[in-house]
Amino acid sequence: MRALFAALLLALATPLAAAPPQRIATVDWGLAETLLGLGVTPVGVAQLDGYRRWVGAPALPAEVVDLGLRVEPNLELLAELKPELILISPQFENARPRLERIAPVQSLALFTPDGEAYSGAQRVVRELAGLLGREAAGEALIARVDARLAAVRARLAEHPQPPLYVASFLDARHVRLFGAQSLYQGVLERVGLQNAWCGRTNYWGFAQVGIERLAERPEAALLYLEPLPPDAARGLAASPLWQRLPLVRAGRAHALPPVWSFNGLLAAERFAGLLEAQLTATPPSDSARPQP
Amino acid sequence: MTDLPSAALPATATQPASRTPLPLCLVLLLAAAALAGADLAARLPAAQWLPALFAPAADDMRQLLLHFSWLPRLCMAALCGAALALAGTLMQQVLRNPLASPGTLGVASGAQLALALATLWAPQLLVDGREWVALAGGGLATLLVFALAWRRGLAPLTVILAGLVVGLYLGALAKGLMLAREQDLSAVFIWGSGSLSQNGWQGVTFLLPRLAVALLLLLPLLRPLALLELDDSGARSLGVPLGLLRFIGLALAVYVSACVTSSVGVIGFIGLAAPAIARLLGARRFGQRLLWAPLLGAALLLLTDLTIQRLAGPLAELLPTGAATALLGAPLLLWLLPRLQLTGGRPQPAAGAAAWRHPRPRQRLALLGALLLLGVPLALGVGQGLHGWGWQLDGALLDWRLPRVVVALAAGVLLALAGTLVQRLTANPMASPEVLGLGASAALGLVALLFLLPGAGLALKLPLGAGGALAVLLLIVAMSHRSGFAPERVLLIGIALTAFFDALQVILLAGGDPRGQSLLGWMSGSTYFVDAPTAWTLLAGALLLLAATLPCARWLELLPLGEGSARALGVPLGRSRLCLLLLAALMTAGATLVVGPLSFVGLLAPHLARLLGLTRALPQLLGASLLGALTLLLADWLGRNLLFPLQLPAGLLASLVGGAYFMFCLGRR
Repeated sequence: MRALFAALLLALATPLAAAPPQRIATVDWGLAETLLGLGVTPVGVAQLDGYRRWVGAPALPAEVVDLGLRVEPNLELLAELKPELILISPQFENARPRLERIAPVQSLALFTPDGEAYSGAQRVVRELAGLLGREAAGEALIARVDARLAAVRARLAEHPQPPLYVASFLDARHVRLFGAQSLYQGVLERVGLQNAWCGRTNYWGFAQVGIERLAERPEAALLYLEPLPPDAARGLAASPLWQRLPLVRAGRAHALPPVWSFNGLLAAERFAGLLEAQLTATPPSDSARPQP
Repeated sequence: MTDLPSAALPATATQPASRTPLPLCLVLLLAAAALAGADLAARLPAAQWLPALFAPAADDMRQLLLHFSWLPRLCMAALCGAALALAGTLMQQVLRNPLASPGTLGVASGAQLALALATLWAPQLLVDGREWVALAGGGLATLLVFALAWRRGLAPLTVILAGLVVGLYLGALAKGLMLAREQDLSAVFIWGSGSLSQNGWQGVTFLLPRLAVALLLLLPLLRPLALLELDDSGARSLGVPLGLLRFIGLALAVYVSACVTSSVGVIGFIGLAAPAIARLLGARRFGQRLLWAPLLGAALLLLTDLTIQRLAGPLAELLPTGAATALLGAPLLLWLLPRLQLTGGRPQPAAGAAAWRHPRPRQRLALLGALLLLGVPLALGVGQGLHGWGWQLDGALLDWRLPRVVVALAAGVLLALAGTLVQRLTANPMASPEVLGLGASAALGLVALLFLLPGAGLALKLPLGAGGALAVLLLIVAMSHRSGFAPERVLLIGIALTAFFDALQVILLAGGDPRGQSLLGWMSGSTYFVDAPTAWTLLAGALLLLAATLPCARWLELLPLGEGSARALGVPLGRSRLCLLLLAALMTAGATLVVGPLSFVGLLAPHLARLLGLTRALPQLLGASLLGALTLLLADWLGRNLLFPLQLPAGLLASLVGGAYFMFCLGRR
């Protein structure tokens, strides 16, 4: 009885003590995506057009205000919006003193120098849910994505896969290979796949290399993210080395629809779905796709 | 630009005939060969080398890699190095300027901007051939340079000045695009840092025939080009059509460098360093330099690229070759400088100096002052918000706008003053705080801080930035002590440092480091991060430094007359120069701390003042200060409102607004 009373009191007192902020602005696309995943629509997001082109899903409603550059969000505009909380990530930290004059600033890191992006994304969901008083929604989101990955893992177990390069082409000569610390690494591990790229990666979890490095693991397959840069398809078609890469000759190079590589849990969920669709599709007739 | 007296006296016996660049060339080539051999041995057993190089087995990936990646890369390095050195030699000859290089004519900036524009708005063009897009951009930039310098018969000084301005202008435009559309332009970042990575022979088969054609076209021009070592009247009396000859020579050089940049990206410094080293090591005549500079260029780039590949591991992925040449090249040039026989202190030929003087400078100054008084409230009150345009001069908005306006004014004054000092000091209208390397070195100090101690306050930034600038100052003092601060030497040191900083910046941006983007914003000259106390402090500092500079007006009047005249008129050469350099360093450091090394104002404001007829030192100092303040005020306002809510850095806009007007004036004269 006493415990029940205490719980009731706590439940009453918490919202009185600090109502969770409702009007939230963010400069980071990953945090914007996570907010939407928690069922919160931000009042302002930086570089909206970029979000719409590169992140795409989940879509931001039309009433969200564009705050300008992510590195230098428009202060006058932001002040006019009267946000109750401004979310940034560590790389935008030098704007903090300016932003703090408008509203409390909270920095959440999807990427950390020594962490892993997937668990980082989970941590950010929990932190954000805590800040917004939406712990239940946060746990539900995490559980949903975990369950999705487990389901994909079960499906893929029936289709044994070679190690995978996850890549995005920069031009016909250079490619970004996602490796340790990238969001994709976390997804690959959880769905039971092996990343073919074991080399060093930068802060964001990718390495920028010439395409000749794709020859290092002849048994591997390649999944490259669309959109392909305008001149890359033709350049690759004309490249003798690309044409002779084992994974190209064996028809193990496949395109994946766009995913924003630097986002949170929703991007991971989307990537897992695309992996499943690609890898469980009817096995490609060999050498049917000699080039992207 | 001063001609090289040594170049004009090819036959004098002051140099021992035995000096040739051969030993250095051999050493570099041997080192490169050793590295290449070691690399080859690590990849394949010796027995497979020949088949792998010429007819690789289709199923052996190691042989295929050697044939389609390793060997073409080696050939490209040699070809590009040679081509850039050739272009540099040609440009230096045609412009009679030891500092001319493919970078100086805006070729690289033009090509880069064209690629960025095509990536964003006409990707189909890239499918049909990115080479041609880059070539068109580089070519158009050079045409613009020619157009600007046309009325002056393509006089060397004017061409260099126009090239520098066009390069800065196009570079600023590209930077603006990158700020707003970073994700779409990552390929352009890579291209901008010059990667030699190859996956076939397409690059070599593109470059080789084009180089051959350029060389063939060059052959009949060798003799007339050699005559350009004389001064204008001398060459003309020998019947050389100067304008035409320069045009053809430059066009060839630009064509060659555009071919290189279009296939591998921007490779810094080789075009400047190789001819300079060749000259230094005894290649006196044009024909000799034309032979040795390409050899040296090829050896330098080969060695650099092989070293980078050798380092492998983390560094190789982070360090693009083009940026690395600039990193290695800058210290090399610094080492070479004391050995470079450049004479200084001679008055410049009249090419760049406008002689027109306004009869009543006070009237002009009053007008500029009135404009500034009118502009400040407008810049503060007019702007956009959530509900569109409006006029508002109340507390809340003023809180945001005032620091930016104040700091724009202060930085404008500081940079204009520093620019005036440097230009008068070196008697060189090309000079500006950036060319002097002060902006770059102050920025270097701040970049180090950003990476080592992110979020450090002004208390730490101020001494570090000023420390960077002062370190360069000391370097300049140490390196040019014997020559009594010969202007060319100071400029060369500055250019080397600026190149070093540029390379660092390019590496940061190409490596995808998250801090790169905020660095880009700051380096474009943003007033965003300045708070009110800093802004007012800086303005007070700017006015103090202005007051401190005014008594030096007499020195500034006399120093451009040349060492002899200045000394005869009682100017203590060493002391006055040191004093003025110190002032310029302080001013640059102060401005750089808050708005980045934007520099264009430092080049622009003194020029505008002179174009308005404020030619004497005192009116020019005051006029340039007012113009600098006005330019940055306008730039800051435009930056805040042009693409609202997206705010562009003031420095970027200053280059765009000021640059356009500057080019207009330059072309009209």
